[in-house]
Amino acid sequence: MAKTYDYLLKLLLIGDSGVGKTSILFRFSEDAFNISFISTIGIDFKIRTIDLDGKKVKLQIWDTAGQERFRTITTAYYRGSMGIMLVYDVTNEKSFENIKNWIRNIEENASADVEKMILGNKCDLDSKRQVSKERGEQLAIEYQIKFVETSAKDSLNVEYAFFTLARDIKAKMEKKQEASNPTPRSGAHQLRANEQQRKPTSWLSRCNLL
Amino acid sequence: MSSSSVEDIPDQCKDLFTQDGVLLKACIGRPVTDLNSIGMLCIVQNVDNTKCIEWRPNDLITIDSDTQDQEWAVVNTIGRRQRTLSGNITSDYATARARIIRIPLEDLKTFRVTRNNQQMQFSTKPGVWQSTFYFQHGNAEIFVAYLKNHVKTAKTRHDRNTYVVVEPNVESQVLNKSFAELDIFTENTTDVVWNLVSNFKQRPYETTMEAFSKLTDIVYYGNEATNGKRDVSEEVADLLTKSMSALEDATSVTRNDEYEVISVKPTLPPRPSIPRGTPLSAEKWEGLQDTEGRVTEVEGVKQLIFRGGVAHSIRQTVWKYLLDYYPWHMTHAQLRVLHKKKTEEYFSMKLQWRSMTEGQESRFTEYRDRKSLVEKDVNRTDRTHPFFAGDDNPNLVVLSDILMTYVMYNFDLGYVQGMSDILAPLLLLLGNEVDSFWCFVGFMEKIASNFDMDQAGMKHQLLQLQQLLTFASPELARHLAAKDSGNMYFCFRWLLVWFKREFSHRDIMRLWEVLWTGLPCNNFHLLICVAILDAEKDSLISRDCGFTEILKHVNDLSMCLDVDRILSSAEGIYHQILSAPHLTDQIRVILGLPTVGTSTSSEEVASTSQADNGTVEDSDHSLYGKDMEEGTLKYDGIEIYIVSKTVWALLS
Repeated sequence: MAKTYDYLLKLLLIGDSGVGKTSILFRFSEDAFNISFISTIGIDFKIRTIDLDGKKVKLQIWDTAGQERFRTITTAYYRGSMGIMLVYDVTNEKSFENIKNWIRNIEENASADVEKMILGNKCDLDSKRQVSKERGEQLAIEYQIKFVETSAKDSLNVEYAFFTLARDIKAKMEKKQEASNPTPRSGAHQLRANEQQRKPTSWLSRCNLL
Repeated sequence: MSSSSVEDIPDQCKDLFTQDGVLLKACIGRPVTDLNSIGMLCIVQNVDNTKCIEWRPNDLITIDSDTQDQEWAVVNTIGRRQRTLSGNITSDYATARARIIRIPLEDLKTFRVTRNNQQMQFSTKPGVWQSTFYFQHGNAEIFVAYLKNHVKTAKTRHDRNTYVVVEPNVESQVLNKSFAELDIFTENTTDVVWNLVSNFKQRPYETTMEAFSKLTDIVYYGNEATNGKRDVSEEVADLLTKSMSALEDATSVTRNDEYEVISVKPTLPPRPSIPRGTPLSAEKWEGLQDTEGRVTEVEGVKQLIFRGGVAHSIRQTVWKYLLDYYPWHMTHAQLRVLHKKKTEEYFSMKLQWRSMTEGQESRFTEYRDRKSLVEKDVNRTDRTHPFFAGDDNPNLVVLSDILMTYVMYNFDLGYVQGMSDILAPLLLLLGNEVDSFWCFVGFMEKIASNFDMDQAGMKHQLLQLQQLLTFASPELARHLAAKDSGNMYFCFRWLLVWFKREFSHRDIMRLWEVLWTGLPCNNFHLLICVAILDAEKDSLISRDCGFTEILKHVNDLSMCLDVDRILSSAEGIYHQILSAPHLTDQIRVILGLPTVGTSTSSEEVASTSQADNGTVEDSDHSLYGKDMEEGTLKYDGIEIYIVSKTVWALLS
């Protein structure tokens, strides 16, 4: 059977229970939101193939149970993932503090060169906010990880987040492949250039990119 | 070819034990082309009585493609066989011979068993594993058990899979006899042999057991009963050659340009189709209580429920018994007292967390964490069901209150994801906060280990599931293992909340009440898993599902499963396992069946093998009333094991 894609990327969503990992995935894969989601038990994944700079990129996105107790099982699925979305809930201080623990968890269980991104979800719930955008940005700078606030409910920055992560991984893969043919541009430059080529959308003004 | 010609050749080695389907994975000093070929791993006695481990590629064993000799060759690999197959020598044969690997037992220093007992490595030099073999059929257990009859071993302290050879050639003389020397067929040999052959097809099980019992007579009572020592090897050889047609069903033949791989698989007896019964009705339930309300025939009630579940109209009552909230033997009056007491107990625990001030909470992180988890999960538990749907649904408050009270009831366990799934159907059915709580407590008692902090309970169950599947559906188990799914993690959700996410509320009530009876054996829920997986075997294997596809396929089964069919086939599988002659203690332990002490643990084998002058009668163990397959192993009877293997091939 002919491949229907140029790249297959395995991504992973992790973060505390109830921060909205499944909602983010549902928004991205089905472009829908359901207030009465069920908690994830064990592990599941969804597929979406996107067009990225002329290449078909198949994203296989793994969704995990958030509760710490299940980590011994869920970490078994970290293996082979190329990108990880670290998700916290801007209305839940604890979930933000735990991002550090999740990063440590990644260091212990995922490959060293895995691409990471921090998502501050539920940014539509401004009245309940406990974690400011600035603190999110600060944490991201500290770990040198890209950061964006998202809302699965209002479909804010979800597409952007996955496209960004996918593009970074793709760029890294291509860089490895074309090691003999180095380009003078840095990864960040390339990324920005690509974004400009894509149609500017409303999210561009709201997104935060380091 | 007749067996007499075998006897006539003086220069022969004797195969003491042979294990088919062994893949050569690695061997120092051998070309890569020699690797990954299938062969037979044997323990061989040389002419000078020294012994060695020998691996022969299959193309050596089944060198001749003419059918008659082909079949004979297979039989010939079992038990006594000659070193050279006269008349079959070709250049291929010579090449194949060069690929034989021999490890003299006196040189063997260590060996180890890894990869789920399927891989064996041998070393004759410290720190170097010379050769690695992979057991494709079954595992290395039997081979190790037999090898330990010939070498005295000790397990290393740091790695319990590694055995150090402390003394080679510890040989038990007890049953160092060939099959041919054991005169099983005492009367008219030929007639009995032929009866045996024809009976195999008609009454395979009985015939086998009859043959076994005769064998047992000899093993247990010695040869005194036999008179006029007759060598039946010729008849037996004939019998086996001519009965090969019966073997066809049980063998899988892979044809290849160069050689044929013939493997013999022990198979389970046919799966009985067991119809489900009707639910326990209100009338029947009333009839099962005495005038004061005691349920006297508890086992009978459980049997009925196991067979058909409970009629919905009486579930509210019967579940309280099944979940150990109401003791079966209490009268109505006693139950009223109990209910009152339990109600008070519940509300006093509820008051404990309800009366907690904000200040207290702020200084009680663990409590806050649990509370926050409960809140999150309550808001996403069965919200599509009308009972829990909509904003500000009061039933969500009750759900939350029960879970919070459970946190106070068992603070160590607290709240773990999945508990709200367990509670929801109980609350939905019982509708009452107190009753739901105590039934929930009862259910949690049964599955508390699912929620262990270190997940040890879950891991243990996943391992047991893997073992059951290996026994009941070996082909599927092998496929899963080959696809990195041998850890069975894809069944995690099934086990954690007892299939709650896989069935509708109606069906999960039926499944749960059947499982709560604890019948017909321990861990029947694992056989439910086996039944579901076995039903999906074809899609899981034929579509050549990989790691991700397996998970996807299993996750997508949710809400597509037929509860009655699954219960029926799980029970069928239970009976299959129960009547399988190769049933092992490992499986018995999982299902809570009495073990027969046939485990080939090192101590046992060592003590038996060291009893130099020990006769069979010295043993405390009787073979009667036990399943033969493993029982025979205890007596070091290599030939006996081989007989059982052969008979099994004919049987299936």
